[in-house]
Amino acid sequence: MSNSSKDNNVLVQLFRTFFGKHWPVWVGGIVLGTLNILLFAIKSPWGASGGINNWGENFFSSIGLFNLTEVVPVNMNLYGMLCLLIVIGSFAGALFSKEFALRIPPKGELIKGLLGGALMAIGATVGIGCTIGSFFSGVPALSGGAIVFTVGLFIGVIIALKYLIWEMEKFPKWSSGKSYTFLAAKPEKSKWQIVLGVIVVISVGIMAYIYSGTNLTMAWFIIIGGLMGLISQRSRFCIVKAFRDPFMSGESHGAVGVMAGLLVSLVGFTAIKMFGIGAGEVGLRAREMTWIFPHFWVKGAVGGLIFGLGMTIAGGCAVGTLWRVGEGQIKLWMSAIGFLLVSPISKLFIVPAFDSILPQSMKFKSFLPDYVGYGGAFLIVILIILVWYVFVKWNEKTGKFSAF
Amino acid sequence: MEIKETLDCKGLSCPMPMMKLAKAMKGLNSGDVLEMLGTDPGTKSDMPNWCAKTGNELLESVDLDGGVTRMLIKKA
Repeated sequence: MSNSSKDNNVLVQLFRTFFGKHWPVWVGGIVLGTLNILLFAIKSPWGASGGINNWGENFFSSIGLFNLTEVVPVNMNLYGMLCLLIVIGSFAGALFSKEFALRIPPKGELIKGLLGGALMAIGATVGIGCTIGSFFSGVPALSGGAIVFTVGLFIGVIIALKYLIWEMEKFPKWSSGKSYTFLAAKPEKSKWQIVLGVIVVISVGIMAYIYSGTNLTMAWFIIIGGLMGLISQRSRFCIVKAFRDPFMSGESHGAVGVMAGLLVSLVGFTAIKMFGIGAGEVGLRAREMTWIFPHFWVKGAVGGLIFGLGMTIAGGCAVGTLWRVGEGQIKLWMSAIGFLLVSPISKLFIVPAFDSILPQSMKFKSFLPDYVGYGGAFLIVILIILVWYVFVKWNEKTGKFSAF
Repeated sequence: MEIKETLDCKGLSCPMPMMKLAKAMKGLNSGDVLEMLGTDPGTKSDMPNWCAKTGNELLESVDLDGGVTRMLIKKA
C-alpha cells in the first residue's frame, strides 16, 4: 500500500486527528471539565494529591515504617487508581503520537524535580488539596477555601518563577550538562510505540471489565482516569503553565484552556449540588458539601503558596506530574517520588503541628452558597474567571507582567 | 544560512527550554538564526505560539532520530 492510499483511509485520518499533533489546550480543558462532572455524578470530583498520598502510605506500610494502619491498597483506593490510570492513559497517548521516550535531564533538574515534589506534598497536606482538588474541582464546587488556596498558588508561582529566572542567570550550570534519551521512536518508520499503545488500551479495558463485576464505581474511575491521562497528554493540559506563562512569556493559551474547563465544571457541579444528584443515603447537605474542605482561609492560603512554589520548581502540578511520568520525563518521575514519599510524612508530623497553632477561625469549611445563595456564588466564580481572562489577554498584548 | 548560536535543551522539560530560548534570543541581533535542539514534546506547541507573540520566525522544525527535535528560529 502506498502512502497516499494510506492517507485516504478514513480510520488513518481519524487516528491522525487525535495523535498527529497536539490538541488546543481549551479542547482538553472542556473535555476534562466534562469528565470531572461525570466523576462527581458517579461518586465525587477529580482529585490527585489524595491518590499520590495513598501510593506513599502503601510504600511506607510495605517497608513497615511509621506504623501506618488501615492503609487501603492502591488497587482498592478509587483515587489511588485514578492517579495510576492517568499515568497509564498518558503513556498510551504518548505512544500513539510517538512522543514517548525516557528523557533524563541534567542532575540539577532531577534535584529540582524531587524538591518540587516534596514541596507539593507539604502544600497539599497542609492546604488540603492540590491544583486539581482545591482548584480545578474546588472552585467549581463553590468552595471559599478553594478560592483562597488559588490566591496562595498564584503567589507561590510568582515567587518560584522569580527564583527560576535568577537561577538561570546566576547558575546556568544547574540546568545544563549531560542528558540522555532512551526508547525514542524513529520519526517515520518505527511502529512499535503504536502497537504497544494498542496493548495498553486493551489492558485498561480488560482491567475495567474485571472490576465491573464487583466494583462498578472503580471500573468507571479506571476508564475516566485513562481518558483523563490521554487527554491531558494530547492537549498538554497543565495548571502550572496556566498560572506561570502569563508572568513568564506572557502567553495565555494554557490559562484560557483551564478557564474553559472550570466553566464547564462550574455548570455541572452547581446542578449536581442544587438538585442533590447522587445524594443517596448521605443526604442533600452532605452532597452539597462535597469537596468543601476545612481550610478557609489561612490553612488554604499557606498550603496553596507552598504548593505553588513546588509545582513551579518541579515544572508540573499534581496532574501535570502524573501525565509527564507517563510520557517518560524523568524529572517528573523524581517529582512524583518526592511527592509520594513526603506526603505521608507531612500528614503525620507537619500538619498536626501546623493545625495546633491555627485557631478554628482560620481553618473552617466555607461553602459560598451559604452566604450569598447559589446564584450569587455562581456569579462570583464567573466574575473571577472573567477578571482572570481579561487580565491574561491584556497582559499578553502589553507584556506588563511578563518576564520576557 | 548561517547559524549564529546552537542552544542545547536536550533532556529539559517545560519551562526550561522556553526560558533558555528567551534568554538566548535576547543576545542575538535582528535577522540572526538560532538552532535549538530539544526533546520535550511541549516545545513543539509552545514555539509557534511564542513566535506568533514575539514576531520571531520559526523557519524549520524537524524530528531527528533519538527523539530530538531541531528548530531554527530567526530573530525579528
